[in-house]
Amino acid sequence: MVTLNPTTHAYLDGQLLAFQPGDTILKFVDRHKGRGFVPTLCDAPQLDPYGACRVCSVEVALKEDGPRRVVASCHTPLSAGMHVHTQTQKVQKLRRNIVELVLTDHPLDCLTCEVNGNCELQTVAAKVGIRKVRYPEGKNHLNRQKDLSHPYMTSDLSKCINCSRCVRACDEVQGQFVLSMHGRGFDARIIKGFDTSFEDSECVSCGACSQACPTSAISDIFQSKAIVATEKTRTICTYCGVGCNLDVATKNNEVLSIQAPLDAEVNFAHTCLKGRYAFRFYNHPDRLRKPLIRTNGHFEEVTWEQAYAHIVENLTRIRAEYGPDSIAGISSARCTNEENYLMQKFIRAVIGTNNIDCCARVCHSPTAFGMQQSFGTGAATNSVEDLQHTQCILVIGANPTEGHPVTGAKIKQRAMKGVPLIVIDPREIEIVKYAKHHLQLRPGTNVALLNMFAYFILEGGMVDRDFVGSRCENWSEFEAGLRSLDLDQIEEVTGVPREKVRAAATEYAESPASMSFHGLGVTEHSMGAKTVMLIANLAMMTGNIGRPGVGVNPLRGQNNVQGAADMGCQPHQGAGYMRVNDPAMQRLYQDFYGMPVSGEIGLKIPEMFEAARNGRLKALWLMGEDVVQTDPNSEAVKESMNALDFLVVQEIFMTETAKFANVILPAASFLEKSGTFTNAERRVQRVNAAVPPLEGTKPDGQIICEIMQHMGYPQADYTADGVLEEISRVVPFFKGATWEGLGDNGKQWPVKEGNVGTPIMHLDSFKRGLGKFHFFAWQESQEVLEHGLEFPYILTTGRLLEHYNCGTMTRRTGNADIVVEDVVVINPADAAKKGVTGGDWVRLFSARGEVRLRSRISEEVKPGVIYTTFHFPEHLVNNITSDVHDSDTLCPEYKVVAIDFERVGSGDEPAGLPIREKGRAHTLPV
Amino acid sequence: MSNVTYISGKEPHSREHRLIFRNIDRKGYDPGLKCYLKDGGYEQLKKAVTMEPKAITDEVKAAGLRGRGGAGFPTGLKWTFIPPTNTKPVYLICNADESEPGTFKDRYIMHQDPHQLLEGMAIACYAVGAKLAYIYVREEFPHAARILEEAIAEATKAGFLGKGICGSTFDLELYVHRGAGAYICGEETGLIESLEGKRPYPRIKPPFFPAVLGLYMSPTIVNNVESLCHVKHILAMGGAEYAKLGTPNNTGTRILCVSGDVQKPGYFEVQVGKVTLGEVIQDLCGGLKPGRKLQAVIPGGSSAKVLRADERFKLKRGDEMVEIGLEDIPMDFDSLAACGSMAGSGGVIIIDDSRKISWVLNNINSFYAHESCGQCTPCREGSLWMKKISDRIVAGKASPDDVATLESVANNIEGKTICAFGEACSWPTQSFIRKFREELVADTREELAGVPVNHETTLAAANLKN
Ligand SMILES: Cc1cc2nc3c(=O)[nH]c(=O)nc-3n(C[C@H](O)[C@H](O)[C@H](O)COP(=O)(O)O)c2cc1C
Ligand code: SF4
Ligand code: SF4
Ligand code: SF4
Ligand code: SF4
Ligand code: FES
Repeated sequence: MVTLNPTTHAYLDGQLLAFQPGDTILKFVDRHKGRGFVPTLCDAPQLDPYGACRVCSVEVALKEDGPRRVVASCHTPLSAGMHVHTQTQKVQKLRRNIVELVLTDHPLDCLTCEVNGNCELQTVAAKVGIRKVRYPEGKNHLNRQKDLSHPYMTSDLSKCINCSRCVRACDEVQGQFVLSMHGRGFDARIIKGFDTSFEDSECVSCGACSQACPTSAISDIFQSKAIVATEKTRTICTYCGVGCNLDVATKNNEVLSIQAPLDAEVNFAHTCLKGRYAFRFYNHPDRLRKPLIRTNGHFEEVTWEQAYAHIVENLTRIRAEYGPDSIAGISSARCTNEENYLMQKFIRAVIGTNNIDCCARVCHSPTAFGMQQSFGTGAATNSVEDLQHTQCILVIGANPTEGHPVTGAKIKQRAMKGVPLIVIDPREIEIVKYAKHHLQLRPGTNVALLNMFAYFILEGGMVDRDFVGSRCENWSEFEAGLRSLDLDQIEEVTGVPREKVRAAATEYAESPASMSFHGLGVTEHSMGAKTVMLIANLAMMTGNIGRPGVGVNPLRGQNNVQGAADMGCQPHQGAGYMRVNDPAMQRLYQDFYGMPVSGEIGLKIPEMFEAARNGRLKALWLMGEDVVQTDPNSEAVKESMNALDFLVVQEIFMTETAKFANVILPAASFLEKSGTFTNAERRVQRVNAAVPPLEGTKPDGQIICEIMQHMGYPQADYTADGVLEEISRVVPFFKGATWEGLGDNGKQWPVKEGNVGTPIMHLDSFKRGLGKFHFFAWQESQEVLEHGLEFPYILTTGRLLEHYNCGTMTRRTGNADIVVEDVVVINPADAAKKGVTGGDWVRLFSARGEVRLRSRISEEVKPGVIYTTFHFPEHLVNNITSDVHDSDTLCPEYKVVAIDFERVGSGDEPAGLPIREKGRAHTLPV
Repeated sequence: MSNVTYISGKEPHSREHRLIFRNIDRKGYDPGLKCYLKDGGYEQLKKAVTMEPKAITDEVKAAGLRGRGGAGFPTGLKWTFIPPTNTKPVYLICNADESEPGTFKDRYIMHQDPHQLLEGMAIACYAVGAKLAYIYVREEFPHAARILEEAIAEATKAGFLGKGICGSTFDLELYVHRGAGAYICGEETGLIESLEGKRPYPRIKPPFFPAVLGLYMSPTIVNNVESLCHVKHILAMGGAEYAKLGTPNNTGTRILCVSGDVQKPGYFEVQVGKVTLGEVIQDLCGGLKPGRKLQAVIPGGSSAKVLRADERFKLKRGDEMVEIGLEDIPMDFDSLAACGSMAGSGGVIIIDDSRKISWVLNNINSFYAHESCGQCTPCREGSLWMKKISDRIVAGKASPDDVATLESVANNIEGKTICAFGEACSWPTQSFIRKFREELVADTREELAGVPVNHETTLAAANLKN
């Protein structure tokens, strides 16, 4: 017999049960009886309680036989000792009557409805037991028009029950405010924007509304709520470092649709359009399905065995002739941890060189390096969840609503709830609308600005002396550096008035918990790694480390940037970040792999290209990278590819780079493989194959295992759990990770024994012992120094929500109908100077080359700054990007390019490349 | 105070006790500040800013003031609901959305005596610690909005609003906000949403009790125009003295707005509970129209439950229960509640025997069907169905069963919605059916029972019985 604990128990239909603080009546009932025991229509777990449909009504009394009141359970808080009656005649009748009223204005054609069998209205109607509708047919909304205008989103509002879940999803989850209810009472109806179609609205196709809608009134072209699918697989999105969990619905080994799991800690029923809708690339006709070997200038289809034999022969030959250091591998931050681990193992243990790198080189290598210098670990200190606890958000050089959409939406939501937001970015990006401070600096002056930022914290007496004194080192050198700053010069070079910086610095330093996020606008600079260290300085000097709601949090571009580095796809550190040139570590790896490994630091990607050009590098193995299109200064990269003796490319599509290959191995996409990805908050999550690999293709991990075996290394066959087990034995912070134990929501590393994750790092001390302050004086980028006079404008690049890098995948999906070209953004003043009007063709030219793009005139960039994206490689933006690199990590400086521009024609003239019309087949020019 | 003369033909009735309406229809009175200052304007504000804020709240409590917006909630008590630990700004909103059918009092105050409202608001703001206040004016009152804006400018210039009011450290900014043209904007949480620039969807309570999570999620006091004006007079008279007006627990004066089938409809400020419904009709309004008999009265705005002319009511007089007729009901909060209706917003609607009951109900139902904000399923769908069914009754196309269906729709709205509109729209139907079932059934047709109907009917022309 349970006795009444006055603070934690209440009666549910006479039974005394425990509740949790803050429970609504519905949450209490759901927990004990399961969702659906009390019917609901307007409530959804991912949304705030709304209380409008009243189907969830229950009777409550304060005493056993006390007077009863009917309340909506979804928003009424439970109180201790309350008696909740969920099944009285009174509430059952009420529920029936409400549903009956709803059905008077609902088409009764369930059998032909796309959500038949998975419709909440249908379920609730069955549950409450509607027999007949007593109301004669009257005026209704049954012949509303469908909206099929959009590449993904659809609506059929004749099915709408006015529950406002879609509106709330758009407001509360995505923060886009596209949908609203128009009109009153019976005339109330859902509208998009100012009563337009989905296509003409500001909808960003996140699909949150479709997932939230209880009927088919708002849906999508994949009919994601339909129950046609026979299987559902939970996996992880491959498009960015947020690491959204996806539920992939399949039938007959075909992907039908994707939804976001309601219990996903990362993305609670939310995704962006890439994760949810951009999957149709996976079985696109363009997919490579046979291994190809180049003979006499063209590719010939071969069997896997023939391909392997060809590779073994050539690699063995080259290694024998030129030594192992004439071979290199480039791994991919798109691939799983297991695949990255195997790739570096292959290069290190089987080939015998440290010439292994990955695409993190071109994005976040400065983060890994910089944070290691400051804290000892190159990874986010905190979790995205900490946004719920922080009281000040600092975003530097990142455009989270486009680049990291689900995290971006969360930042937006917090800012709308009043958490002060500081944005340091050269552009007026979307979150600037919600920001309290925007420091719109000139590209390339991050270091100067952050120095001034730190200076004002010092000058304002806001330094956390205790924290600095007990947990950090090198303060006095840093302080001396700050005191030597020339603020007038900084103001001039950054173009940001000092008072603005002072105000923002004060906000950051005085808030009880401040959290910073940074992106490629920090790293892809000549002083990228140094900028990361300056961000770390800010956190340390204000004590914003080691607690909830604080820290330094890189927003990773690709889905597994973190993991690729963790797994050792770097020339200087092996799996688990042990230094390869430390003899003790060399021995450790040697013993573990059972093969001799090199103690020499290997080549970074730009060094590999250079080595190829001057003949030192003979063979290159590329796993899932299109370096010709995505690395800067494309012409030079092509030259390197041509110079190679032997190039192996593992790919899913024929890319510009693959065209240079000697062997192309057709790999499998993320939907066809298993393993783990590590997201930007160090969360190691399970990727599960939703469908088998397309016939003829193999998952990358399997390919590497097989080539290792063919090269004579006793590598076990690929299984995700098997490789993870191997990893857990060598990577210290994976020690406790097991495939089973990672569970649905993954674990944040370090994963300690028993699968215990670590949401917040550096609690009491830093990984490196004391946190280290660094001071760096700002220096103008070599690019501007060399070319600034001749090319007086600064071009900075970024990306769009709708596309992923060079678009290999997204451009083979409906996303291509949403955004059809890269455009160049020019400030009105500059446009006027050059006689450019919106839509005109513009030629951009730098010291290296030129591109032609259409223009958009906007004040989102300041005069002197030009902005463009790089998703449409046929525009060849990387023809003009520079060769300048971060001095510490060789990460290329994509963000600062000295250019000039001129108008070359009006928008109608075919002055540039033909621009694809909307609605064309998703086939790329290759 | 003496020697107030009124425009001829608009003199107050001798049974009136004018406090709030003292300057309404007053000869030579204009809405300007000068006029207001002539007989003691802003003196109470000057006094207030020297007092402890809590002392003012205490006076309002002692005065027993109950809200004049509809619910009759004790004003002083409402003010104390602001959490004592609050650190957010406190807001005060004057609800000037006056849109309950049958109610027409606030507009006169705003048109003719705006400074009285401003002074009342300033005192209330001082008492609750608000530095920013809004007057939410119904969209259909553009003049009121303009007049108030002028008054605010004048008062600010004269130091009665703005920084350092009357030489004290009290600052107050006051803004007029024009409403959004919907009845639901008068519901306090709908009003707050509207003021925030959103659709006026009322908020769920809990958790959004305005005094805790109101405007911009900060503590907010919402009071009616008339309620706020009373604050000034309470300060002038002292709470205890004010409480002597009216009857115990029903203190002060209030403005009755009488409309419908009487000789002289209009507004009358009387001491609460000191006149009966019979006296309202006979004395204040000069009786019914010639040859007509009283059929029903809606005593507190269109949402109040209807009272039938020949009904008998049980009321407590002292310790005794007495049985009285409609004409003997004292016009106060408690008596009207005891008689099964409410004092509401003070709108008294008189219905004589020339009106067909089904038409009256249909008229009310049409209003609510038009005004339901559409958020709650029972209200959105139910208010429309109530109208559809009463449409049918009026058109003579209903079967007797329809009356029962009508009643069950109403029963499923009351108490099952987010805001009190649910009650407002279902009480008329519930009470009309309870009290006039026979009359309603008489308008239906037996032979239609069980016959499927196409329900789209237009209102039949005749709304008069004879
Ligand atoms: C549907 C609805 C409409 C309302 N309209 C008004 C109105 O027009 N004016 C008003 O003062 N109060 C109106 N109220 C009452 C307000 O919600 C609120 O209770 C009142 O403004 C409080 O002021 P008081 O305490 O001074 O009466 C309405 C309430 C409901 C439920
Ligand atoms: S898809 Fe996303 S952005 Fe578009 S309307 Fe729905 S919730 Fe809003
Ligand atoms: S479209 Fe769907 S979610 Fe939106 S109100 Fe209608 S039924 Fe509800
Ligand atoms: S936010 Fe990133 S991880 Fe999430 S769905 Fe979009 S691209 Fe995928
Ligand atoms: S009761 Fe009616 S008016 Fe009030 S919130 Fe619900 S639908 Fe709107
Ligand atoms: S689910 Fe509670 S009111 Fe709709």
